[in-house]
Amino acid sequence: MTTGFHRAELLDRLGIGVIVALAVIALALLLLPAAIVVIMSFDTRGYISFPPAGFTLDWYYKVFNQPVLVNAMLTSIKVGVYVTLLCIALGVPTALACVRGDFRGATALSVFVLVPHMVPGIVLGVAVLFAGALFGIGPSIWLQSISLATYVMAVMVRTVMARLQRLDPLLEQASANLGATRWQTFRTVTLPLLLPAILAGAVFTFIEGFDNLSVTIFTHGYRDRPLPVELLAIVQNTNSPLVAAVSSVQILLAMLALGVISLTIGLDRVNE
Amino acid sequence: MNVAADVIDMKTGAPRSAPVVDIRGAVKRFADLTVLDRCSLSAQEGEILTLLGPSGCGKTTLLRCIAGFLTPDAGEILIDGKDTVPVPVNRRSVGVVFQSYALFPHLTVARNVAYGLKMRGMPAAEIETRVTTALATVSLTGFEGRYPSQLSGGQQQRVAIARVLVLEPRVLLLDEPFNALDAKLRGSMQMELRQLIKRLGITAIFVTHDQEEALTMSDRIAVMRTGKVEQFGTPEEIFDRPANAYVADFVGASNFWDGYASGGRVVLPDGQTVATGLSGEVRVMIRPHNLALRPAGPQASSWTGTIRFRRHVGALMEYEIGLDGEHGLRALALRDGSTASLAAGDKVSLTLRDAAGCIVFPRS
Ligand SMILES: Nc1ncnc2c1ncn2[C@@H]1O[C@H](COP(=O)(O)OP(=O)(O)OP(=O)(O)O)[C@@H](O)[C@H]1O
Ligand SMILES: [Mg+2]
Repeated sequence: MTTGFHRAELLDRLGIGVIVALAVIALALLLLPAAIVVIMSFDTRGYISFPPAGFTLDWYYKVFNQPVLVNAMLTSIKVGVYVTLLCIALGVPTALACVRGDFRGATALSVFVLVPHMVPGIVLGVAVLFAGALFGIGPSIWLQSISLATYVMAVMVRTVMARLQRLDPLLEQASANLGATRWQTFRTVTLPLLLPAILAGAVFTFIEGFDNLSVTIFTHGYRDRPLPVELLAIVQNTNSPLVAAVSSVQILLAMLALGVISLTIGLDRVNE
Repeated sequence: MNVAADVIDMKTGAPRSAPVVDIRGAVKRFADLTVLDRCSLSAQEGEILTLLGPSGCGKTTLLRCIAGFLTPDAGEILIDGKDTVPVPVNRRSVGVVFQSYALFPHLTVARNVAYGLKMRGMPAAEIETRVTTALATVSLTGFEGRYPSQLSGGQQQRVAIARVLVLEPRVLLLDEPFNALDAKLRGSMQMELRQLIKRLGITAIFVTHDQEEALTMSDRIAVMRTGKVEQFGTPEEIFDRPANAYVADFVGASNFWDGYASGGRVVLPDGQTVATGLSGEVRVMIRPHNLALRPAGPQASSWTGTIRFRRHVGALMEYEIGLDGEHGLRALALRDGSTASLAAGDKVSLTLRDAAGCIVFPRS
């Protein structure tokens, strides 16, 4: 009886120990590569190696003094914004139709939006390239934005759908009962309650628009080369910490985005 | 219920004003399930009407039809004599207090209450005065800036009521508004809400499955069973003159004793007789408080049984008494010297206190 109890307690402790260890490993996997990139971006030597031999901000200076890189960064930010706007404009109504629509095929639609995301990025890139040619849209910042919106639409639709499904339908009925028209109800009740989900979706669509390579490589414009494509070229030709510096800037941007979210809607509400 | 009573005031004989809400033979089906089966009832100006019935009998469905969230498949629902079917939800002057309150979680108390006025495009200054008044009416002054999640269940309920009352609706619908409250708060809120509704003179339809709540709150009660209105009348009528055994059983917990009527009377086992117009197999309703208990002794009546268990009900004691070969009877007694010593297992004799309090129904 007693020994059994001690044994159970011991197992409990052991279990907690294993969980803590696994959590530490997971955290290391998540953070270590990013940390190493940031550290390498300050190296004084002209090639990537770890640990660094000294400290310099030269690479950052170079990043922001190379018009090619700065343009690429601006292009990618633009694409990120366009993709996000497209996904909000098309994804939110799609989510509403999937959840609220009582037409046949609402379920089919909600599954169908996932398809582009399931297809390998390269395949989708090629497909959009051909489709674009059919409509007379050649590789450009527009085609790139459209292709990436197609690619990540599912994230926005699914995030908003999940929130909609858990939205109490009585809230909208209460609103109507209090005299609101359908549009007033949408604007003052539904949309505000969907906002955290839309923002969470927007962060993902922006980041995908900003740094996707597989789809982008086929659809981007040759004069507006986005950052991932530019980075690939640099990595293929050189081995300089310049790439690490660009990556660090990207990491900083991502953290800024998360910071903005946690300050405005709170990180814990992203999954609501 | 007779039809004339609806049109002519029983006391003064004067014709009543037209009902505010008039439901005529409302039918609602979901697939092949008939949830409302030719429901008819009406609420007069300033009246509190209760829909009382067990879970699933269609109370919420009827409210949803009145509010316009559902359209009845047949029959009519009139408000102030006008058919409501063509009127969209947001144009009906019907305020609903939902079972779960359905407060807007992203709006403060003040903005929840202001919501309907804002949708009507009322100037901000006027909205503010009205909201202040409405919150004072439900004793929530000072809570303007709180969010619903920061309120207790009772406070949330009062916000839900204020949110509707501020619009001065013609009809107020309340779906089991006290469900989420503890027993004590429930009691005080019932009185408060009744007084409030009466003070404002609003016509209200109120849903509950709690018969005591119905008796406390209502001017008239519609007892429902599986989509049908079994009886529609004042609490006194429902309690003292139930239309059938179902109503008698649902309102005020009754005992039923099966017997045989002949010559205009039924003889109970204790020798007393109950007058009736029926003959043949009958079922006699006996309220638990109408049964007197005595320890079975030499002068015992011939109606005896054994106490199965006893239960404290406030100041009263409820006894469940097993009779030979029959289902048990319930008796309710004041806790005084004569019954204090009675405990489970004791043999007791039963007598009817008042034969006039019994009602005889035909046995089907
Ligand atoms: N949308 C619907 N589709 C199908 N059946 C429904 C629908 N709404 C209600 N019902 C059924 O109609 C019946 C009556 O439901 P209703 O909600 O009116 O009951 P109620 O009297 O309010 O019960 P409760 O006291 O439990 O709230 C139930 O059997 C319910 O399952
Ligand atoms: Mg209900």
